[in-house]
Parts: sequence; structure tokens; C-alpha cells
Amino acid sequence: MNATLTDRYIDAAMRTVPEKQRSDLAAELRASIGDQIDARVEAGEALEAAERAVLTDLGDPDKLAAGYTDRRLYLIGPRYYLEWWRLLKLLLWIVPACAAFGIALGQTLAGATFGQVVGATWGGVLAVVAHLFFWVTLVFALLERNDGKSPLERNALTKDGPWATWSLDRLPEPHQSGAGFADFIVLTAFLVIWAAAILWDLLIGFVPGSDLSFLDPGLWPWWIAGLFVLMAAQSLLAFLVYRKGRWTFGFAVANAAIALAVALPALWLLAQGRLLNQQLLLTLVPEDGAEVNQILAIITGFGIATIAIWAIIDGFLKARRAR
Amino acid sequence: MSETEALETHLQELRRGTVVLACLRLLRRPGYGYGLLEELNSRGFDTDANTLYPLLRRLEKQGHLTSEWNTDEARPRKFYRTSAAGSRLASALTEDLARVVSAIDALPEED
Repeated sequence: MNATLTDRYIDAAMRTVPEKQRSDLAAELRASIGDQIDARVEAGEALEAAERAVLTDLGDPDKLAAGYTDRRLYLIGPRYYLEWWRLLKLLLWIVPACAAFGIALGQTLAGATFGQVVGATWGGVLAVVAHLFFWVTLVFALLERNDGKSPLERNALTKDGPWATWSLDRLPEPHQSGAGFADFIVLTAFLVIWAAAILWDLLIGFVPGSDLSFLDPGLWPWWIAGLFVLMAAQSLLAFLVYRKGRWTFGFAVANAAIALAVALPALWLLAQGRLLNQQLLLTLVPEDGAEVNQILAIITGFGIATIAIWAIIDGFLKARRAR
Repeated sequence: MSETEALETHLQELRRGTVVLACLRLLRRPGYGYGLLEELNSRGFDTDANTLYPLLRRLEKQGHLTSEWNTDEARPRKFYRTSAAGSRLASALTEDLARVVSAIDALPEED
């Protein structure tokens, strides 16, 4: 019968309307539809065609109902979009990298093969990224829907804390250029302290009452000399950056080359068991020395790789900012 | 976006608030949804049913309209009427619209 289509439309529209308003809204909607159909019929249309035309003009019933009830037809609106995006970007910079490091370290310590480590890390990072997207978005979608408050009250609530509305005080500080004289001095002092520590370790030893060093004595003198040359190059690079006044792409490449020149031989020596002094732990922990040596080697390897990767990325970031 | 689409969007934005004002002024005499829709359109305010009905609800919720069911006729209808707050809102909007119109008149002439 001709009422069915209208009934179905009203039912569909009322599905998402709160119980309280339902009967009132349904009655009004039914009367309006009836009025519109009557008008069309009076103008000479057939009843069925008129009903179809009226309901088609009203459009998607869910959308109509959303208009009635102020339901939000978006996940995150303009009020929270920027906060959502900033937080998500921040977390995506930090969390997956930490997760990758942790998973890879754990897998390696557990004795997984290279393929297993790569697979587990990749899978873990994907899962972490998916979780980040999901939970952050869920929290913001709930926030978007959970405020029966007037805009004024909302403002009072969000004046402080992480949801503070934007103000001039929140403009980002200019980034450190990394090209000041202080950068050069700090880096050089740091390198000198490292060199002194390495020499002290090899020639005198940190462990009292034992002349065993942390580093393999076989590294002396040529490997160590090579390392010192690279450290001098690093210091020279910092000086050139200071003279130029800013990082450039060329400096970043040189920085990456030095980082790789330190890290790759160090990792190779580590894999050969020639970087750390195997004797030291075998002496200190006679029973489990071999196993402790292996764990220590893995942790050292991850440390070297992480520092090198960060140094390379840092150089390119500084070069990009200085453009 | 084609030129006519852009024109449509801009016209829509320009007219958005005027329907509210027209409703508030027309509903000084009580009226129901469809009757109001007809009157708006005949007076030159192009309005769709699916924008008008939610708009009436919103104005009622804000206290600018009051409503009452009239069940005397065969088809029961919900009649809306502009409240005191609605009248004040209507005068404020009318004044502001007049200000906008005179400001536009004062703009440099079109060629």
C-alpha cells in the first residue's frame, strides 16, 4: 500500500533518534511528508509517484535524523583535528622506533636468526603503528562526542593542560642550528674524554687489581689509531660546520661517512669477537662468562648501530633545517 | 570545481543565516513545518524540507521557538511560534543584516 514506503522511511529515520524524542519527531515527520504528498497530488501527480518524489527529496534518512539530533557525522571534527594529528605524529616518531629497537634486541638476545629478527621486528612495528592509529583516534572520537556542553563551558575546561587552546606562547621555538661554537667545543671535549677513557682502559685498566681491559688488547695500536683519526675528523667536521655557520647536505654526507667508518668496522670486529675483551668476563664470571660475553656483545652491537643511525639522521635533519 | 558549483556553494554560505531570520519573523504567527516551507519559498527564501525541519528543532531546543500540537484537524500538526527570546534574536539579526547590506553598498562599485 502507499503508506508502506513512508512508514519504512520514518522507521529508518527514527532508528538513530533517542527514545525520548522519537514519537514526537515521527509524528511531525509523518505530517510533513503527508502535507508534501498532498500538495503534489493536488498539482496533478499520481499518489505513488508523489510519495516517491517527496521521500527522495528528503534524502538519506540517517542524515536527516542526524540533522534533527545534532549527531556528528564525522569521526574527528575541526575542533580536535589538529590536536589529534599533532599527538599522532609525535607518537609515530617515538613509539615505533622504540618498539623496533626493543623487539630486535629481545629477539637477538633470545638467539633468533637474522631473518627471524627482521620478521618479528617488522611485524611488531606494523602492529604498534596500527594500535597507535586506532587508540589515539578512538580517544579523540570519544572526546568529540562526549560533551553536552556549551562552547563557553568547553573553553573554560580546555584553557590549561594538553587541550589548551592555541596561544602565541605555543609557537615553536626556533630549532638549535647545531652550528654554534659551543657545539664544536662540546663535541670535541666529548671526543677527548672518550679517547682518554679508551687509552686508560687499554694501558692502565678500570678494574682495580686486574690489568684486563674492557676492549680487546689486540686493537692496540692500529685499530685504536684508526679510531682516533676518525674522531679527529669528526672534530674537524664540527669546526668546519661552525666556520660555515650552518649544516649543509655535504656536511651531512661527511658526517654519515664518519659514522659508518666507525660503526661498520666496530660491528665487524664485534662479530669476530675481537672488539670486547673476552678474557675479562671469563675471569670475572668463570661459570657463565661465555654466555654473558655473548649477551654483552649483542647489547653493544645494538648500541653501536643505534648511535650511528641516530648520528646520521641527526646530520641530515640539521642540514634540512638549515636550508 | 566548476564555476556553477562554486557559485552554488558561495550562495549557500551567503544565505545560510537568512533562513533562520525569516523563520523567526514569520513564526510570530504560529505555523507548521510544511506551511512554513511553502511560505519561505514563495517569499524567495529557497529552502529544502530536510534543512528546515532540523532547523526548527534546533531553534526550539535553544528556546527561540515554542511548539504546540494541534490535533483539531484530521492530520495532527506541530505548530511553532517565536518566543520572546526568539523575537530578540530576530531583531538583532535584522539589525546586523541591515548593517552588512549598507557596508556592502559602501564598497567600491562593480564595473
